[in-house]
Formats: sequence, C-alpha cells, structure tokens
Amino acid sequence: MKKVRLTINGRSQQFIIDPKRVLLDLLREDLQLTGAKQSCDRKGQCGACTVIVNNKAVRSCLSKVVDLEGAEVITVEGLGTPQNPHLIQEAFVLSGAIQCGFCTPAMIMAAKALLDENPNPSVEEIKAALRRILCRCTGYKKIIEAVQLAGRFLRKEITPDQVRPNPNGPKIGVNHPRPSAILKACGVAEFSADIKVEGAAELAVVHSPQAHARIRSIHTATAEKMPGIIGIMTAKDIKGTNRLKLVVADRPVLCDTTVRYIGDPVAAVLAETREQAVAAAQAIEVAYEPLPVIKSPTEGLAKDAIQIHSDQPNLCYSQPQIRGDAEAALAQSAFVVETDFSTQMNHQAPLEPEACVSYLEEGDEGEEPTLVVIGRSINIHVHLGMLQGALGYENMRYEEAYTGGQFGIKIDITSEGLAGAAALHFRRPVRYIPSLTESMYLSPKRHPFEMKFRLGADRQGKLTALAMDYVVDNGAYLSAGRAMVFRALYMLSGSYYIPAVKALGRLVYTNNPWGAAARGAGPPQANFALESAMDMLAEKIGMDPLEFRLINSLKPGQPKSTGRVVEQWPFPELGEAIRPHYNRAKKEAEDFNRKGGPIRRGVGLGTHAFGISMSGDSANVAVELDPDGGLAVFAAAADPGEGNDSMFIQIAAHLMDLPMSKIRLVTRSTDRTTATGPAAGSRMTYMVGGAMVDGIQKLKSAMAEARATTYDQLKAAGKPTRYMGTKKNQDAAAIIDPTTGLGPSFESQVHSIQMAEVEVNTQTGDVKVVKVTTAVDAGPVINPQNLEGQLEGGVDMGIGYALREEYVAGQTKDWISFRFPTIATACEMEHIIRETPRVRGTLGATGVGEMTMVTTAPAVTNAIFNACGARVRHLPAIPAKVLATLGKS
Amino acid sequence: MRSLAGRDVFFDSEGFLVDPSQWSEEMAEQLAREIGISFLEETHWRVIHFIRDYYLQNGRAPLHRELKKGSGMPLMEIEGLFPGGIKMGARLLAGLPNPRTCGM
Repeated sequence: MKKVRLTINGRSQQFIIDPKRVLLDLLREDLQLTGAKQSCDRKGQCGACTVIVNNKAVRSCLSKVVDLEGAEVITVEGLGTPQNPHLIQEAFVLSGAIQCGFCTPAMIMAAKALLDENPNPSVEEIKAALRRILCRCTGYKKIIEAVQLAGRFLRKEITPDQVRPNPNGPKIGVNHPRPSAILKACGVAEFSADIKVEGAAELAVVHSPQAHARIRSIHTATAEKMPGIIGIMTAKDIKGTNRLKLVVADRPVLCDTTVRYIGDPVAAVLAETREQAVAAAQAIEVAYEPLPVIKSPTEGLAKDAIQIHSDQPNLCYSQPQIRGDAEAALAQSAFVVETDFSTQMNHQAPLEPEACVSYLEEGDEGEEPTLVVIGRSINIHVHLGMLQGALGYENMRYEEAYTGGQFGIKIDITSEGLAGAAALHFRRPVRYIPSLTESMYLSPKRHPFEMKFRLGADRQGKLTALAMDYVVDNGAYLSAGRAMVFRALYMLSGSYYIPAVKALGRLVYTNNPWGAAARGAGPPQANFALESAMDMLAEKIGMDPLEFRLINSLKPGQPKSTGRVVEQWPFPELGEAIRPHYNRAKKEAEDFNRKGGPIRRGVGLGTHAFGISMSGDSANVAVELDPDGGLAVFAAAADPGEGNDSMFIQIAAHLMDLPMSKIRLVTRSTDRTTATGPAAGSRMTYMVGGAMVDGIQKLKSAMAEARATTYDQLKAAGKPTRYMGTKKNQDAAAIIDPTTGLGPSFESQVHSIQMAEVEVNTQTGDVKVVKVTTAVDAGPVINPQNLEGQLEGGVDMGIGYALREEYVAGQTKDWISFRFPTIATACEMEHIIRETPRVRGTLGATGVGEMTMVTTAPAVTNAIFNACGARVRHLPAIPAKVLATLGKS
Repeated sequence: MRSLAGRDVFFDSEGFLVDPSQWSEEMAEQLAREIGISFLEETHWRVIHFIRDYYLQNGRAPLHRELKKGSGMPLMEIEGLFPGGIKMGARLLAGLPNPRTCGM
C-alpha cells in the first residue's frame, strides 16, 4: 500500500491505496463519482473515463493513483449540478450534443481542459483535444458545435438564456432541451454499472473458446477454493427452461450439453469482488468434445452438414417474393446488371458494456420476494417474460437503467439471464459488469448477407425487374433473425417502382456469433446491393445516377415489391432538393480531379424508402391527469439515446397546452408501464407517440364532455382520470404470404437520398469521406436537433460500416480491433429537411432513427467508383479491397 | 386469419389474438372449447374478466401476485383451471396479445 494525497473536486483527501489501482476505480468505486465511465477494459481506447488532472484532460483508467501525489483532480461532478450547471454543460445540452450520454462527461471534461487554455479553438483544435474520446451516437458534429458554443459562453459573447428556446413558446418544431440531457451532462444519470447495490457480489462468466462442441465436464473444484468465491453456477442450477426465447427457445442462459459459437456462456462465478470472480472463472476447466464447425451458410446448407439444433434444420427460415415474371422481364431487358454483393458481420458497438444488476426485493409477509433485474433492455415487458420462463420464477420486475447506446443490440437480452439466475441461485444481490470483450461475446451481431443480384432496365432507362437470391448467416441462435429476411423483402424495391420481382431469402444456422437487430435490421444489407446495382445500371445505360433514380421513383398508386400500393411517396421532391448540391459536388470533384495526382475525388448517391410501422404492429400508452393539472404518461418506451423523452413531452405539452415541466414520464419499470413494444424499427414516434396522442384525445374528450378543466372537476363529474391510448397498423395481419412474399407491409415510409463526397488515394486504397449531404423527409419535425442528431450519428455509423468496421469472431476484442470511428474520421455533414405530413403520422411525423444509415454505405461505395473506377461489392471497403478492384492488390 | 364467433379474426403463431379489441365472450367460449374446456364456469370468467380488465386499464398482463390478489383465488387453482396455465391459457382466452409486436 502507498499513501497519496489528492484534491478531488476541491476536497483534499489522503488515500492509502494499492499501487496498482487506477484513478478511474478510485473515483467510481471508492468515491461514487460515477460520471467517469468505463467501456474499453481500462485500455485507454474509449476515453469515456476522461477527467482533468492538473489542468490536463487525462484518461483516468491509465492513471495510477500513486503517481498522482498532490494532484488536483476535477471530475464532471465537480463542474456543476443540474440545478447549477457549468456553462460547458449547458452548451452540450443546448447544442443537442447529448444522446445516450455515456461519453458526455468525458467530452465535457476534455472540452473544459481545452477551453481553459484556449477559449476560442478552431475545429481542428477541438478535434485534437477530443480525439481520444469515442462517441457512437452523435457522429461528433454536435459535440464540436457544443464546444464552440461553450467557448462563446465563456467568452461572454452570448448567454445560455439567449440560446435556450422559450419554454412557454411553441412546443413543436423547436429545440427544447431533452429532459434527460442535463442529468447526463452533470454525470448523475445512473447507468447500470453506476447503481450502488449494498452487499452486491460480482459475477464473472466462463465463455466457450470452441465454436461447436459437446460439454464433457465442468471441473470447478479449484475455482471453488479460491478467495472470495461465493459459488459457481452451471446450467443445472437454473430452475426454468434455461432458454431465452424471443421467437424460438434455442438459446440457453448457460449451455447445458453443447456450445454453438465462440463466446457461448458455460458457467458463472459469483465472488465478493470482480477480480476474484474473474480469477476463479479462469480456473474453471471445461472439457469439450469438438463437433464439426459450420463456418458459413454454404456449409450449413450442405447435404451432409451436422444439424446445429437437433429440433430445427440449419435452414431455419426462407421466404420468397414473387411478383410478375421477373425472368421473362430480365430476358427482354435492354440492360441488365448481374453480380453479387456481400456485407460483413458487424458489432453495433454501443459504448456501454452489457452491464446488469439483479437482486431480490422483499415482498409483503407471506409473499415470495420480487426478483428485480436492472439493465439495458429496449423491450422490458417481452424481456421480462423471457426471463420468467428461462429462470422459472414469476415474481419479477425489469427496470431500464440509463442506457449507453444500443442500436438494435438490445432487441434481445444476454447478461440479464445470467445476473438474474445468479441472484436467484445464490440469494445475493448481483452485479454483472462484463468486460468489453465479454460484451462482444455475449451480444448479437449484425447479420452478414450474401446476395446474388440482377437488375434490368429498358431502353428508356425504366426499371423492368429485380431478382435477388440472398443467404443470411444467422449464427448459432435465431433471436430476431427471421425479421432480417422479411424486412429486407418488405423494403426490397427501395425508392423505386419495379414491375417484376423474384427474390428468395434464406436464413441459415451456423456456428458463428448469433445475429439480431442492428440499426436498419435487414435493409442496410439489401439496399447496399440495390443502390450499388442502380449505379452500375445507370453507368451501363449511360444515364446520370440521379436522373436514373428519379425517373424510376415509385408514385402514389403504384405498388412496392410486396404489392402494397402506396398513397404518399415524396421522394422525387427530395431528388430535386438535392440536385443543386449534387451539381456543386460533381463540379468540385471535376475541378479537383483535373489537377491530377493519385488522390481522386468522387460523388455517390444512395436512396431509400425506409418502412415505418410494420403490419400487425400496435402500441398502447396510458395517460393520466395528475391532481396538480399535469399529465402523466405511462409506457415502456425505452430511450437509449434517441430522444424519446423529448418526443413525448413536447407532443403532450403541445396537445394539452401545458408547460413541459408538467408532463411526467413513467417509462422504465414493468410494474408501472404499458407493454408497448420495442424501441426498435424506428417506431417510437409513429406508433408509441401516436398511441399517446390517442390517449390524450380520449382524455380531452372526457374533459370536454364533463365541462371540466381541472382534475377536481373531472373527478367530481364521475369521469376517470386515466385513459388508454392505442395505435394500430391498418393491417392486422402481421406477415406476408409465405409463398409469394406479397401482402401487407409498412404503413408509411421515411424517404432519404444521401450524397457522399469522397477522396480515394489510388496508391494506398485509403478512402476519406469529405462530406455527406442527406435529404430527408420524415414528416413534420418535432425537435430539429434530435432529428439532426439521428442523421449525423447514422451517417457516421454508415461510413464505419462502409469503410472499416467488421466483427470477426475470436479476433475482434476491443475498440481498436473493431476499428471504431473516431472524431478524426468524422466528416462534414449537411442536411436538407422536407416535412411532408403523413396521413397516419403522429402529428404527421414518421421516424428517422434507422433510415439514416441505410443509404450511407452505397453512397460511399458509389462515390469510390465515381472517383477512381473501383467498384467495391463486398463490405467493408478497406484499402486492400479498393486496391484489389483497381488491379493493384 | 380465421373465422371465429362470426367474424374474421387474426391470430399469431401461438394462438394469441393480434388485436385484443376483437375479443368477445362468445369468442372466449369458442377458444375455450378448442383448448379443451367444454364450459366456462364462473371461476373461469372471474379470472378471464380480471385479466382482461387489468389489461385494458394497465396495458399489460397482471403479474401472478396481482392476479392472485385481484381474483381472490390461489395461483395453483387458477393454473389448474386452464390448459396451458395462466400464461398460455387464461391470457389467451382473455384475448390478450402476445406481447411481441415487432413481427419477429
């Protein structure tokens, strides 16, 4: 031990401390200053732990406490509070720079260190100062703008009150700060690992190093004798089905007989400290009998392939889509593109680990205790039901903590089953804070697609037919896999009218990591093929890519590939809106390229019509007039960073003519909320917001009928104060025809056309995205900053998907090997926003969370082709692939 | 989709009503016969109505402890009343939706 004296947030304290301990752990564990976060297993890769030490921004996970004798440390908690925030914290809130909030305290501390030294930094200086901190939500643009605004505040050029919208002014179409933003800016929003649970023990899990094997034995004797060990749990200790069933019951909480991918959980250790649990987990010996490993869908479909699940074939789902005679149409087409495309397995990469807390809460006398699980779920009621079945325990509650990003990864649950099972088995409160590597093992991935694609057009450039045969690597467990296949079909024709379609999607079990939802969930993969082929076809015909897209736009009254006829299709207007930008970009690229040299500039487009509200979807939201005249909104509406709190509060305040402070959201606990479906599919504004609007209309009708303007008057009239609002998709049938793939599909669409401007180094294959311009029509905008934030974060994620990111099982273990996009690669972005009200939209609005990345990858690869003639058909477009397509491998 | 109690009704793959507002007592009686209950007794109805009313008020199915308190019946008795138990029997007859809504 060593003695060290530090001043932390103005308070001088001495610490007698283990020389190995780092500042982050001292702050979080000993002082409960949990504003500084941990994401990268203390490797200094994420910067989420950044604090100020002696006026410099420092990654506290790399700073040993013993090296800091006499240092002055400032954490985000030392800057300000929600009641009295620092100007930098206000600037982040008012700039819309805060989404999930996991990186926010670190960004704010790095900004403070910069602005203390340089009150008027340039964009490049801001990027340099924040370069070590990762953000997955924002695309960094609004963070840079927040630092600029903070500089203006600090230089006294402007005050927060001059920027803050009038809270008593209009509610819709205004950048009212998110209610949760100030809590995140001040580091007091509690994420799962921040929650203090008295007496909690720590869980560590043994993961399979084998991709496919029988478990012969699990030897725990050595581990059991290690210090601090409370116990070891294997499958036999789980009392329920031990299967987490989202759609089919194929995924065990802990594997019993067989492991099916690298990372499958096999055993769990509970100990007094995490270090003890991890050490014991490493001492558990598991004997495996290797089984043949199915590495790809092709292997899985082979006649003699081993069946991964005894009760289900490896081909676990297939769905055709057939409309018209595509073969005949292609045979008669003047122009046909025929090629193949593929997209990679990817990690959604939320910064927060798959953290979870679970404990037993005493019930009334004679009642069994309630098992409480606190985690990152975006669908708490469904996940509660899954846990009840898997653990064999009914009396449960799920609570959503603040969530550090998710991007589809939490459509299914992982750590919750393990933590809940351990809390039940050992009757101890449990914290399960997996490492980053472990979180990557545990969580589902974006499905890789292999696509054989044909697209035809006639002599006038009108599309004639599309044919696609695609195979989806499902990985070891089904989860939401089927949805990836049919969602791709629902949106197969994208923005266009295509008279004939012949497609077949097949989903195949393999021994790769299992897939589930990832932002866009199916369409990003299929639309990469469509939009690449559109450019290839335009090239073949000799038409401009924008013109080619616009002449093929679907029109109201025409059908999508599913046969569903659309009533609104405001896509051509977007094309016209982006045209001047497109012409500008093409001219700039021509001027640039005229100079010669190895770096070539190109311009590429991608479009999509992303479906909102799938057939069969429904939502319900309860609203209740509070005695003080305010409105309470009850719905399990997760908000992992998109800004659903803004949406609810601004709409409710607008409709009720109330101050926003009088709207009370109750969204996080299964005990108190309606089961309103997942925060997925870009459905929250359209479906859940729509259900809230319905509830408010019912309440207002009742008040009008009773001639009541207050709670007391409504009660006196004998009317209820609580009303259930619902919203249902027009089509009650949830699925398309199994043989034709025709039938109901999405009720509305958000339209987008995106333009990427890139520079390609033809000697190295490096691609730099200079700018992305997005023209979008999602209907009337409720909060412009929130919409822009989704666009910017989605574009950044789309560029990562296009150029860098890939999850390779057994190799991708941290943010470096994942190639996480940083502020250094963030590009310029511009938005063109149109607001066509949708017939059944919520105040006319749809949703925008996923659409924004669906078009980015093809826009980027089309721009690469435009720059240098390299057609990359297999993502990601890493330099080696760019060079290979240029014949320079 | 199939015709039940005089109307076209959509069910999901596990037999739950897609649209809970389509429910009727006549429909519950017909569904009950299909799962092996020839006649719905007063105790069945007490459970079905409690579950349904709870759902309409709260937007979710009641937890077992809430069902026990609300119906005044022991859980084991309720489980035994419905083939499929509370979750797959009583809730189904009460016309509650299968809470999966994203069409997965």
